[in-house]
Amino acid sequence: MISIDQSVMKTETLDLNNLSSEQTALEIRNLDLKYGDKQALFDVSMKIPKKKVTAFIGPSGCGKSTLLRCINRMNDLVDNCNIDGEILLHGQNIYDKKVDVASLRRNVGMVFQRPNPFPKSIYENVVYGLRLQGINNRRQLDEAAERSLRGAAIWDEVKDRLHDNAFGLSGGQQQRLVIARAIAIEPEVLLLDEPTSALDPISTLTIEELITELKSKYTVVIVTHNMQQAARVSDQTAFMYMGELVEYADTNTIFTTPKKKKTEDYITGRYG
Amino acid sequence: MGKWFKSGSPWIWMTGGAVSISLIAVLGLLLLIAWRGLSYFWPADIYQWEVVDQQSKRSTIIGEIYDKEEVPAERLIAAGHKFSEDPGELVTRYLIKTGNREFVGLDFRWVLETDIVSRTMPKDVAKLERSKNGDFFGYPIAIIEDGKRLALDDVEVSFEEHIERAVALSDKATTLQKREIGAVNYALENLRLKERRYELDNALTDSRKLELQAERDKLQADYKILEKAFFDLRAEAGRDAVIVRDMRGEEVTLKLDSILGVTYSNRLGVLGKLGHWFSGVGNFVSADPREANTEGGVFPAIFGTVFMVLLMAVIVTPFGVVAAIYLHEYAKKGPITKMIRIAVINLAGVPSIVYGVFGLGFFVYMLGGSIDQLFYPEALPAPTYGSPGVIWSALTLAILTLPVVIVSTEEGLSRIPSSVRQGSLALGATKAETLWRIIIPMASPAIMTGLILAVARAAGEVAPLMLVGVVKLAPTLPIDMNFPFVHLERKFMHLGFHIYDVGFQSPNVEAARPLVYATSFLLVSVIVSLNLTAIAVRNHLREKYRSLEH
Repeated sequence: MISIDQSVMKTETLDLNNLSSEQTALEIRNLDLKYGDKQALFDVSMKIPKKKVTAFIGPSGCGKSTLLRCINRMNDLVDNCNIDGEILLHGQNIYDKKVDVASLRRNVGMVFQRPNPFPKSIYENVVYGLRLQGINNRRQLDEAAERSLRGAAIWDEVKDRLHDNAFGLSGGQQQRLVIARAIAIEPEVLLLDEPTSALDPISTLTIEELITELKSKYTVVIVTHNMQQAARVSDQTAFMYMGELVEYADTNTIFTTPKKKKTEDYITGRYG
Repeated sequence: MGKWFKSGSPWIWMTGGAVSISLIAVLGLLLLIAWRGLSYFWPADIYQWEVVDQQSKRSTIIGEIYDKEEVPAERLIAAGHKFSEDPGELVTRYLIKTGNREFVGLDFRWVLETDIVSRTMPKDVAKLERSKNGDFFGYPIAIIEDGKRLALDDVEVSFEEHIERAVALSDKATTLQKREIGAVNYALENLRLKERRYELDNALTDSRKLELQAERDKLQADYKILEKAFFDLRAEAGRDAVIVRDMRGEEVTLKLDSILGVTYSNRLGVLGKLGHWFSGVGNFVSADPREANTEGGVFPAIFGTVFMVLLMAVIVTPFGVVAAIYLHEYAKKGPITKMIRIAVINLAGVPSIVYGVFGLGFFVYMLGGSIDQLFYPEALPAPTYGSPGVIWSALTLAILTLPVVIVSTEEGLSRIPSSVRQGSLALGATKAETLWRIIIPMASPAIMTGLILAVARAAGEVAPLMLVGVVKLAPTLPIDMNFPFVHLERKFMHLGFHIYDVGFQSPNVEAARPLVYATSFLLVSVIVSLNLTAIAVRNHLREKYRSLEH
């Protein structure tokens, strides 16, 4: 509870409906998504502010992960998934035909629910994204690796075994490694899909601290099941229910004075 | 009883029993062929028997006991055999290898125990291994060196040294014939083809003719010199001879250049026999076959088998992996893909001889024939690639084993967790980059599994090879010292076919039988070692990419 108060005090409130374009990292406009005949998202519109942590909360199956995966077009991998509407990044619709998906994903990094390091050394995991861009200069890679590993608060733990297999790390370390891998290519937006759901409480705490640090450089969007976590780490919270965006406001507002009945029910644990 | 049944123990016993029976079957098979094959190289005792035959004629037999069986006396009496005293119910009959093929007609004979008067193991009797006509048993008496007779009783005269000298000279002659003379012949043949090529292109000018003639004259001169050296060596090797008293009591003169070795088996202790055993096995593995494959070694067959299998592996792996990647990663999931997949799996069930026929029709005649038309017109009508050869065998077996590689690669691909794929894609990799950098390395243990199965199947396959490249005796290996060093169009020898040939096509079945076992054991060993190598590689890869374990 103490941490909630702290985060509340630190947050200066933004008017989410009237963000200027400099303040906006992403804008979602009237997004509908269908898996075959089943509609999973209904007319979602929201603006995600720059260099803040935005949390999506809601019960299982409410579409929060689906919405997150729309932002870097991960849903393209799903067969018969139909998307209507727009997501604007730098005023450009990412679903436009001209957009190169690979370069979009370089700008919008993603960390998944379970740690998914590659079967390579720690070092090679971190520089994977850079090697993809054709960077093979040893010094450049070394620098990037150290910077990212420091950025993901794991440098001290792995600096002596950079060339060991990444699978030798614990679950929490693997997740931070994956975050380091994502920030090595310096994206603007970092999407975190329930990043701590497979981790123990201590690792969870480390990752949460890390998220708060990350927002100084990146726009972070996090999906979480855990309301305390949303309250601890996020600046804005979006509550979703049955594929609709029910309420989107300052975390403080959502958790203290929600406007909608559904939000209040969820927050107070009446369902979900 | 009911309780025992419920406890599940019968199930454990049944499954355990099945495993034990399989194990016993495999071990029994290996032990039988290993014992039969490897005991052949153990120097057997040489006996001298005094035998009285039906006409009361005494004779002497010298030889090794090859086999032994119990025959009912009644049957022998019915066949007209007369016994001087009651032989009892069963009579032992020995199969004796007497050797000396050109002097006694049959080099194997059956002798009844009751006909034997005495049996001794003389120390001085020797077994002479010869390059022609099989072994010779007898008492070496003297050496003829340069026409001088030297009695072997003399301690200063060493039989072994003389033989070693002759063998060394013969070996030198053979090497000369294979290497230098072979190279000159190869060059002459190339020259002939070159001339023919000019002729076909209408470019055979007089100056070129002269040039070619000059080259040919030079090669002919080289050939003359080499030929003379060769005959000198042969003559030198044939300088000495040995006089041996055989079992008829006659003295026979044998030239030393036809003798490969001498063994006084009865003089050898266990260690000496062990030494002979090892050199026998070594010889078998490293030497060329002699006398319609019934004697000598099987080196060309080992080489051919391994070379062909490796060539096949090199062909089938990329093909199978690429096909599996398309089927699994790119093809749309629909009825057509499903049908293709079923067709691929069914391909594994097509009888191998059908592949042989296909290989002969498509690869050898169509593909090879076209290659000859296009690139080797000067050699026609003699085919270059248009006749069975090692490359066509490898290709045929590659098709045969393609389904195995495809199926196991696909299995490996589908075992890779989608989270890893997404992780790579989320870092801005394209699908191709993800495949190349992450998916294929992670699927490599499964690819190796496919390759192991493919190699195991291909190395044991004989039937299709008989149509597309295997021969009884290949004069040259597919790799030699003549440019371009690897000759993929050449025919080759194969252990599997060698077994068939020695066991069923040989003029001397008795002599060849142990070789069938020895070759079978060798074939199994070759396959096992190929597989073990592949398994070691796979385990290494598994260790490297062990993310699949969780």
